[in-house]
This record gives sequence, structure tokens and C-alpha cells, in this order.
Amino acid sequence: MAEIPNVCLSLPNRPENVLVVRQALTGVAECVGLDALETNDLNTAVTEACNNVVLHAYDGGEGPLEVDVYALPDALAVLVRDHGRGITPPAESDGEELGTGLGLPVIAALSRDVELKDRAGGGTEVRMEFATAKAAELELGGGAVQERRYIEPLDETANTVALQLAPNALVRAVLPRVLSALAARAHFSIDRISDVQIVADVLAAKSVSSISGSHLDVGVTVAPRNLELRLGPLQTGHGESLLSAAADGMAPVIERLTDERYRVERADSAETLALCLVERGQ
Amino acid sequence: MPTMTTTPKTPLRTVAGTQDDPRELFLRWQRDGDAGARDVLVHRFMPLARSLARRYGRSSEPFEDLLQVASLGLLKALDRYDTDRGHSFASFAVPTILGEMRRYFRDSGWAVHVPRGAQERALKVRDARERLANERGRAPTVNQLAEYLELDTEDVIDALQALQSYETLSLDAPRPGADGDLISYGDAMGEDDERFELVELDATVTAVLRHIAPRERLILHMRFVDDLTQTEIAERVGISQMQVSRLLRRSLEQLRTLTQAAS
Repeated sequence: MAEIPNVCLSLPNRPENVLVVRQALTGVAECVGLDALETNDLNTAVTEACNNVVLHAYDGGEGPLEVDVYALPDALAVLVRDHGRGITPPAESDGEELGTGLGLPVIAALSRDVELKDRAGGGTEVRMEFATAKAAELELGGGAVQERRYIEPLDETANTVALQLAPNALVRAVLPRVLSALAARAHFSIDRISDVQIVADVLAAKSVSSISGSHLDVGVTVAPRNLELRLGPLQTGHGESLLSAAADGMAPVIERLTDERYRVERADSAETLALCLVERGQ
Repeated sequence: MPTMTTTPKTPLRTVAGTQDDPRELFLRWQRDGDAGARDVLVHRFMPLARSLARRYGRSSEPFEDLLQVASLGLLKALDRYDTDRGHSFASFAVPTILGEMRRYFRDSGWAVHVPRGAQERALKVRDARERLANERGRAPTVNQLAEYLELDTEDVIDALQALQSYETLSLDAPRPGADGDLISYGDAMGEDDERFELVELDATVTAVLRHIAPRERLILHMRFVDDLTQTEIAERVGISQMQVSRLLRRSLEQLRTLTQAAS
């Protein structure tokens, strides 16, 4: 079976972004019906793998942290990847160096299977599997992700997330959580975070039937009190209809909540919806 | 919950010469029942239990409770570790300690109920949100809440997420509004449907809006026509902002479903 990821996340390997990954995974877990204990196992294991990328992958510099989620017939597989110098698994110690090198034993204890690979061309990949029969219920998208995206942040005050989602129920479970975690980091008020969730709900509900490729690409750029979102590729004409009242009366929602900062960008065969949410208070 | 001491009862110097050789200590505990040797091992490996409790139990239960469970797992691992098998103690102890915590969560119904720690935290976050909003006249940010409550931001985000989803917890008992009780809103709305329509809607939406409960319609109107913030709506309607947020998301969802069915 060709494995097609349901969720691909690429973001800078900053400590605060592990939270974004956790929120995305919590959404996936909710979607496939994991209970709180299984969700905690999943999140703890993936956090260990991500922390390794945050701490060790780029020798103190910055680079992409990549997380892919695959639905297998009887399990969720999660891959955590970097393009850094690669790591060699820590040699069996006598347990004296506590706190470091614990990541893999923790992952091994909480997952069904774990595999650590040095990637050709540099970097490390940790592949984990978590048993759940419900993963099979997720419908896959149309095909493999053609090109992995990563958005280079302009500076350290900006943050970015490239999110590629199979067009299924996952979009609704993942998008609002990821966006609200980012808005929280961008000093949005609680009220405004809730607005972000509402916009994400609308986009998630409407975009699944409007995309033109195999995956929904969501690019998010976050600066203090400012969240920009680009969503595509949409079929020609669907950008407008996603916004228009005729579609389902949601136009006032996006208009109001983005303070009318939205537009449809047209390329040859597809459209991208761009919108911006700003924290208005002082 | 068993209690245990983490400080060696026997002064370290009585096991001097052996304290750097865990193998010897394991033998003395497992073969000879030397409690002093076990205390030294407990002392040595307690950071492992502590680290696992922190990693695995993030924001669910009070940390001291988790540490007790992890310590119990450590004691079991000390009993069962086989020095002849060639694995380090840490690699043997990690699954044992995590297994103990998983069992504790499973047995305490943690997997199906909202954990006590998370529940208490959600209530604290909700109350702090109200207090800060009242003091400052506007909704706080997650950072401000985290600072105020001395939590980390992820705990606050989790609590907000929880407040969005725990429908069964009566976290949102109605409270008196700024200028009247809840019933008066319901009464007012029954009289005058037109007031609550969103602007520039097509016929389908106008039709399905009638299926949305009056209070939800009022909240939609206040948010999307009057452009009030959720905090302002909460004050006027006499519910919490989290509840306004939940009702908005839910009624928009309802609206989408109804419109799809109608068209």
C-alpha cells in the first residue's frame, strides 16, 4: 500500500512550536477517537521526538521540524523529521545520564513500534506507530503530497507553519486547534482567539469540497498581533464562493472577523484564498 | 496511594565503596534484602521517576500525585531488574514506570473522565479570565492569563480548549446579566424575529435562521451585526465569554448544516 500522509506539518524547530504539533496531534487523536490515555501516549512520544529536533538537529541554529501523520489500517504512524546533522542513537548507558537520552526509551515504551533512521542527504527521521483500529476510517486524500513546503520566517518575532491536509474530517479537527495555538502565541486576546477558531471552522467546513489538488495547503505566517493565512489550491471560482453569501450565508462571518482583510488570488488553474486576522485591542 | 521516603535512611557512608557500583547495590537489595542499598538506589534514580512524571503527566494531575505513582513504579523496577540481562537499569525502568502511570490513569477513570487536575485548572482559567476582563475592560491574552495564574501558556491553551468542549461539566451556570435576567432576553426575541437576521443574507439563510434558538440568534446578531466583542456579549446576555464562544461556534455549525440541507 502506498502510504499517503493525512497531515504534513513543517515549522521552525522552536521550543514553542512543539505546542503547535501537540495541538495538531490532539486534533488527529480526537478525529480517530483515541481516548485521553492514548492521546497522552501519542503526545508524549511525539513531543520527545520533536524536542530532539528542537535541541539537537541544527546545532543551535534554526531549520524545519517536519511532522507527518499517516493512517494505517490498524494504526496511526507519525514521522518526525529534520534536515540537520542527524543523530546517532545514544549508546546504552548505565542509566547515569538521566534526563538526556531518555527520549527513545520513552517513545519505545509508549508506541507499538519505533524506528530511527539517518536520512540520505542529512537529517534524522523517527517513525512511530500507535495502534488504533479507528485510523482506517479516515479516508485518504487523492494522492501524495507533491512538494513539501516550508516557509522561512522573516525574523525571530515571526513564526510560520506550512500545513498540508488530506481533504477529510481531519481538516476540521486540526485547523482550528493549530490556528488558535498560533494566535495565542501571537498575543491575541481570548476573544480574538475564539474569532480565529470560528474562521477556521468556516474554512474547514467549506474548503474540503473546493480544493483542486490532492491536499489542502495552508500557509500561516504569524507576527505579534497578526495572523496571515493562505489556503489553496482551490478550484477556479471557489475562492469567491467560499466567501460569498450565496454559498451559505457565511460571508458576514469572514468579512466581519477579518475586518475585510481578505482576497482571492488567481493563478492559471487554481485559486488561493488569503486572509488576515489582527488583534485590535491595545 | 503509598507514601515513601526518598531520602536514604542509612547515611551514604555506610555503603561507601559500593555506591558507584549499581550492580553491587542491586545484589545487596535483591539478594540480601539490604534496605540501605535500596535507599541509595532510590536516591540515585529518583530523578528518572521525576523526569518521567513530568513528561508523561503534563498538566493532567497535580504533580505530587504523579510523582508518587512514578516512585511506586521505580520501586517495582528496583525489585525486578535483572543485572545479568545486560540492559541498563534506566532502559528497564522507563517502561515499568510509564506502565505504572498508565495503569494509575486507567484505573482512576482518567481516560474517560475529565481529570481532576485539568478540571480545576479549567475553572481557575475561566475565573481569572472573568476577573482580568473586568479589571482591564478587555479580554486578556493567553500570556497574561498564564502570568496571572503562574501556569505555562500551554496549560492555559489546554484549559481553554477544555472549556470549549466539556459540555457535561456545568462550568457555565447562568449568572445574572448586567441589566436583567435571562428570561427577558428569550421573551424579547420571540416577538421580533427580523431584528436578529444577519445582514445581506439570501432567502435560504433567512429561512434557516428561524431554526436557530432565540438566544443563539441574538448572540449571532450582536457579534456579526452590532460587532460587539464576545466579552461585551457575555456581559449583556449574562453568560461567560467561553459560553458565548461555544454558542457562536455551535450555531454557525448548525447554520451551515441547515443551509446545506435546504439547498
